[in-house]
Amino acid sequence: MIPVYVLTGFLGSGKTTLLGRLLRSPKFARTAVIINEFGEIGLDHDLIETSDESFVMLQTGCLCCTIRSDLVLTLAETLRRRDEGTVAPFDRVVIETSGLADPAPILHAVMSDDVLAERLMLAGVVTTVDAVHGAETLERQPESVKQVAIADRLVLTKTDLLVENPAALADRLAALNPSAPVLPACFGDIDPARLFDARIWDASGKLTALADEPHQDNRAHDHNRHDGRTKCFALIRDQPIPAVALTLFLEVLAEHCGADLLRLKGIVDIAESPDRPAVIHGVQHVFHPPAFLNRWPSDDRHSRLVFIARDLPREFAEALLDAIEAEVRETTRSK
Amino acid sequence: MADMVGLVHRLLTASLAAWQVMGRVQRDADRITLTVGAQTVLIARGAPPFRWMMTVGGRDRGATSVAGLLRMVRRVVNPDYPTSRLRIAPSRLVPP
Repeated sequence: MIPVYVLTGFLGSGKTTLLGRLLRSPKFARTAVIINEFGEIGLDHDLIETSDESFVMLQTGCLCCTIRSDLVLTLAETLRRRDEGTVAPFDRVVIETSGLADPAPILHAVMSDDVLAERLMLAGVVTTVDAVHGAETLERQPESVKQVAIADRLVLTKTDLLVENPAALADRLAALNPSAPVLPACFGDIDPARLFDARIWDASGKLTALADEPHQDNRAHDHNRHDGRTKCFALIRDQPIPAVALTLFLEVLAEHCGADLLRLKGIVDIAESPDRPAVIHGVQHVFHPPAFLNRWPSDDRHSRLVFIARDLPREFAEALLDAIEAEVRETTRSK
Repeated sequence: MADMVGLVHRLLTASLAAWQVMGRVQRDADRITLTVGAQTVLIARGAPPFRWMMTVGGRDRGATSVAGLLRMVRRVVNPDYPTSRLRIAPSRLVPP
């Protein structure tokens, strides 16, 4: 499977600078890059130099709108050309989104296409945040909030410039997405391994991000100090969850929360699979199939579900899971 | 045995908040009354095949699960809500 990474971030936040720097690194060789630019004439692809082993392709228009199917076609065509040997045999794909893009539909496009799913695997989302203007952008631009909320790694750019109140931005990022590490990068200078080798969407990869999710506070932990609408919270369960209860829970969340469920990830103790926890990942209403680990990654065997959502109170998610679990247990007992 | 009526009462209260619908949810023994504007919805345990019965405007409707009940309630109190269906990304049926 070829990992696909999505590089997003608001306009001017340093995505292209970061990508240009990464592509000059030998550690980042054999990369296919798809750049999406908003507008009829793209420039970014001309601003990026690559090694011989990597290449850059351009799409214009906004990936998250009508052009989504074009992305699927582009990826399929790129794979075909790789098979024919007419492009370099890349080992990873990076999709750089337009700064105005809502990344969720792009993730859906990669996750949902039957043919692509045979060969490509969504491996992570990296979001750049401008250290100077990031806080203001997050205040004004809802797309930027979503870009941060959905990230697996946050890259703080322009850290060489004077920042008035770096703590405020750090707090805001922690409130929106406490599980994503914030990595500073001046002029895109960062070790690619820290960004693109995490494989956090892959159950066989590292699970440190999930293991570090907030769960010290027994039942739930809130990180909502600043943002009124987008919230991050965790549900913890002591008891195993029946598989059917988890499925129903996800179905109801998708039905009633849909687009507001920005990200849900979790490690779940499934009643029917006591020694092999399931890892779940979802973006809005689209979920990866649960991946079963061979064993628990640590001694902590609690189920942990981490939500990043807009206008979704923790109480709703908690009451829903409680009611569904109780009903499933009641139904099972009566049989 | 879990207090299912209590759990559904709590869920409906949380649901109105989540859906940003102004209303009131009251429990009276084994019955739940949900009031939104002029609408009154009565909810009680049902008999098989229905686990829940909902009465609106004198009409009874059955639901086979909490999930179904929640869908019916939402259609009454928030009929224009945009629904979306859970979609599981395709995966290989056999290991590569």
